[in-house]
Amino acid sequence: MALRWNSEFYMAMEHRDLQANAMALNNTGTYVLLAGRRYIAIRNLDDNDVDNIKKFPRQSKYDVGAAEWNHTDYNSDLCVISSNQRLEVLTWRSGELTQTHSLRAHTRVITDLNWHRTDPHLLASSSVDTFIHLWDLRDSRRPTSSLSAIAEASQVRWNYVNPHILATAHDGDIKLWDNRKGTAPVLYLSAHLAKIHGLDWNPNIESQLATSSQDNTVKFFDINNPKKAEYVLNTNAPVWRARFTPFGNGLVTVVVPQLRRGENSLLLWNTANRATPVHTFVGHRDVVLEFEWRKQKGGDIDFQLVTWSKDQSLLVWRIEPFLQKLCGHEPDESKDLDSDDIFESVEIPNKLSQKSQALQQEFSLLNLQIPKMDVLKMDLVKRFCTVCAKTNNFLVLLQVSFPTAYPHGVPPTFQVLQDSSIDDSTSAKLLQTLTHIAQQRVLKNRTCLEPCLRHMVATLEQLASDLNDKRRYDSPYFEPPNLFGAYNEDAYIPFPRTSGAKFCSVSTLVCFGRPTVSRRFATKMDSSTPRALSALGSVFSSKRPSDTITISSFYYQTQRNRPKHINTAHNLFRPQVVLYDTSELFYVNKQLAGKYILDGDVGTLCKYNGNEAARVGRWDLVQAWTLAELVSGPQQAEEDMHCNPFGTQLMKFLIEHYASKTDIQMAAMLSCVFGKEHEHTNRKQSLKSLLSPGTQLIPGKRWLKGGSPYHTIPPADVVADGWVFPLLRSARSNSLDNLRIEDNSIVPLKVNTTTSLYEYYKQAYAEILHRWDLLYERVEILKYMCVPGEIHKGVEFLSDCQHCLEPSRNCRCAACKKLSLNCVVCHISVRGSSNCCLVCGHGGHTIHMQQWFSSYEMCPSGCGCRCLIETGTVLSP
Amino acid sequence: MTSLLNSIDTGHEDMIHDAEVDYYGLRLATCSSDHSVKVYDIKNGAHNLIDDLKGHFGPVWQIAWSHPMFGNLLASCSYDRKVIIWKETQGKWSKYYEYANHDSSVNSVQFAPAEFGLILACGSSDGSISILTYQSETNNWDAKKIQNAHTIGCNAVSWCPAITPEPAFDSNHVGPMQKRLVSGGCDNLVKIWKEEDDKWVEEKKLEVHSDWVRDVAWAPSVGLSRHTVASCSQDRRVVIWTSEDCQSWSSNILQTFDDVVWNVSWSLNGNILAVSGGDNKISLWKQNLDGAWKCISDVTKGQATNNEQRAL
Repeated sequence: MALRWNSEFYMAMEHRDLQANAMALNNTGTYVLLAGRRYIAIRNLDDNDVDNIKKFPRQSKYDVGAAEWNHTDYNSDLCVISSNQRLEVLTWRSGELTQTHSLRAHTRVITDLNWHRTDPHLLASSSVDTFIHLWDLRDSRRPTSSLSAIAEASQVRWNYVNPHILATAHDGDIKLWDNRKGTAPVLYLSAHLAKIHGLDWNPNIESQLATSSQDNTVKFFDINNPKKAEYVLNTNAPVWRARFTPFGNGLVTVVVPQLRRGENSLLLWNTANRATPVHTFVGHRDVVLEFEWRKQKGGDIDFQLVTWSKDQSLLVWRIEPFLQKLCGHEPDESKDLDSDDIFESVEIPNKLSQKSQALQQEFSLLNLQIPKMDVLKMDLVKRFCTVCAKTNNFLVLLQVSFPTAYPHGVPPTFQVLQDSSIDDSTSAKLLQTLTHIAQQRVLKNRTCLEPCLRHMVATLEQLASDLNDKRRYDSPYFEPPNLFGAYNEDAYIPFPRTSGAKFCSVSTLVCFGRPTVSRRFATKMDSSTPRALSALGSVFSSKRPSDTITISSFYYQTQRNRPKHINTAHNLFRPQVVLYDTSELFYVNKQLAGKYILDGDVGTLCKYNGNEAARVGRWDLVQAWTLAELVSGPQQAEEDMHCNPFGTQLMKFLIEHYASKTDIQMAAMLSCVFGKEHEHTNRKQSLKSLLSPGTQLIPGKRWLKGGSPYHTIPPADVVADGWVFPLLRSARSNSLDNLRIEDNSIVPLKVNTTTSLYEYYKQAYAEILHRWDLLYERVEILKYMCVPGEIHKGVEFLSDCQHCLEPSRNCRCAACKKLSLNCVVCHISVRGSSNCCLVCGHGGHTIHMQQWFSSYEMCPSGCGCRCLIETGTVLSP
Repeated sequence: MTSLLNSIDTGHEDMIHDAEVDYYGLRLATCSSDHSVKVYDIKNGAHNLIDDLKGHFGPVWQIAWSHPMFGNLLASCSYDRKVIIWKETQGKWSKYYEYANHDSSVNSVQFAPAEFGLILACGSSDGSISILTYQSETNNWDAKKIQNAHTIGCNAVSWCPAITPEPAFDSNHVGPMQKRLVSGGCDNLVKIWKEEDDKWVEEKKLEVHSDWVRDVAWAPSVGLSRHTVASCSQDRRVVIWTSEDCQSWSSNILQTFDDVVWNVSWSLNGNILAVSGGDNKISLWKQNLDGAWKCISDVTKGQATNNEQRAL
């Protein structure tokens, strides 16, 4: 028995090993021929045994380009295939296939061939060599006539009605020939700007021709009026073939297979209403290469479409009367009844009533109280219902037709009737979403009429309100509840990352990925990961256009029809993030960062830092610290140490070395220390000049050394080698402002790249400290920046100088050069950190203020201000 | 060389597409195909879910933490064409700003270096790059768009670091710091952008990749006055671009991998590059003193799970 998936189509054949690329049906629709490089296979479609197939090996190094059976009864056993430059005519008689003719005349590969519709001996073939040869099988040595077209021909088709006319496609152009009128075309049509892939004559209208093209359109031409296309059908993808249906005014199109866009469906159109296809044939899992109509058998009401896809599966589709109706064809009802009466008189009424019962139930259960919606007609026998939806400006008449298999996997079809007041594009959109909802419901064998109708009303209301807002209505993106709806667009969205690694914070490596159990879904996939999101669609869309397509299902094989595996796969699937500590890969050390000091004299701090490095086992750093100590240590501290060229060069080299090793920590620390050492010597120098000549300095005694915080600040503007700038005074605490020299013009600024590099090391290290939350250490580093790291923005409290009443930022007034503040407790001028009450303005040394307010509330000046409380109210938001 | 710090069972219902730890290394954010963004507290090896942020209607592709000086902000971008900026206020996360002006999936979000202010760059499959700048005066986000930055689509954006060892404070160079971006897209190109007079202009077009560029990363400076950018592509290659002046770039192919490469990420010091791709493997690369790139570590996910099991 043929494999029956649902009533719409059945699988007639699936032979992976055939590798066939051409298909042809014989004129009775009984036999199908599949031809490839290695085999020619013939199968009887009426035979239900799927495996009953005759294979004839074919030893050729060429693929089969095109194949076709003869259309006439007289030569119904003849079949022609093209193989590179040759045509082979085969005879199928009593179960054997023999080659009877071999036609050679083309000099390049043959692109297409076509038997004459009525003459059993006549055959046309087109080729890249620009010739179209017409053959008479009674004299197969050479073509009876050769039509020279200048451009290569990709398609050739005889007219169905007029036995003399044939059309050929040349890139974007069409040429018409009359075989009585010599070798020049009778008509030339500039049809498309892009390549024409397919050509078909209307089987009923002599003068109508349909061309399908790369430019996403199908154009219909009347050859009696060739100036302009009669009408154009727009699709969203390049069209490979467009063929008329043998009934009504239908047309079937298929997307260009080479595109592999994941659209494996065929579309059925009604040429009278070209806005949207009337039906989509969903079922193929790979691109459709060829399709052909079966000749209708006597007494059979259904038409049948045979389709062949790249994955070597052959499907036969039944075109039920309701679909024929959609294409404007009224099937002969009497024939239907007859056949029922004669063949299945017992079975059918039973089945029918059962089926209509389901529909009847749905109709009766339908809540007619849907606002703004009226049901005009419900017909159980003809299985359709008509509704009318009225929202503000819109009137939509919708006809819903239910195929007999509904709701078991087959959705109803929707049609917007003539009197509706919405434009084509809106109705196309509406139909698209309706079909989508219907499909999702019927896949679960559930009825869909009510949700569809409700949705339609909602959509129309949305439309109306959007129009009121004078906004263009964008297609409702979230309409389909599934993730990957629009496969066209997904072709440009990169395939999602499912594993990754990121360095974060200072040394954390954040990793995520797929558990190792996952294996990629292996259908037709290349070995490497796909690039676009649409790859998901092409794997799954044909099988289930439902909401189950996710990225995880791409890797876990839950999509296979093995439900028992789903649970296990889900258990294995635990999305995890793993954090690694990669600090050992880097030279920066958090422990050391907390231990290092920058306070104090250079020699001792080098020694101290060296010891700390030794404690955490960084012996490499101990040596560097020792060197630094030696360069700047006390034993070297002679008067002229600062001009020791060796020390300076060594320090520079050390910093450069650590920087190139990307040990930002060491580079920054050394930059600071070195800077400090320089300022130290500078200070000595400048102090000397300040106090000279008769200096009180005792030679050899380094009186400026020591742990006093005042001594971290340079008193001078002297810059040696770009280490220290006058700028930095303002960036630092101003406790030594009393030592400042107001003369700014001693040494011009000298900026060089090394300095900016050192600045960068300090800044980069400060950021690392910030990330480690070592804020104190960070500020210590920033004190050595030549440019202020951050310029303070926001509220600032300035005090007015007590002598000249000018606002002053520092403890020494810039205007009168006096100390601006006297401590209210000890009555001595404040030079270090101070605090003042915001309300009464009294204040002084921070330490004195702290002591005072630990025991009192009132201002020490006796002004009566409750400083703590008052200041608190000022600062509270 | 590396030690396992923490492993977090995210509880996402579908694949994770990105994970990032905040500035201080205290919190982890993840995003997934299940439309959600989750935030975890990972301080001291903990892994507690703080919040599950729901607001996207499609798979969330990428997330980014802001610098803490702007508060706790998290940006996420999704297939649903939206960029959402989430903000934590008093322990509660909520939607702070939503940007929906892209016509296709938004694939990448990156906060600019804090020195430039609160600025977010977004790259989308509609081919454009959006630069969202927070205006503190008006409490608004100002959006600038580079239209058609990459034909077909933009897959990744990355900012040039603000702190570079350029002589930024020399007298000729006063003025605002130069903002630069690098982006990669489906046109197989890597492009360098810079802001000039309030407009973003293409500064350079880098052409080596033969397939879609999947990720780009501008390296923090390593103390050399040189810019380094890493890019990875569907063509399975990782390219290291270096330049002195952002004008002339030289390329150096790091390696051709077994599968497509999805991610490149620089360490804070800019000397180690983490590479990961479709084969589910992670490798770390370091430049030796001769300038050659060497693989120093291979972390496969399989080992990761083993480690984790041992830890349990």
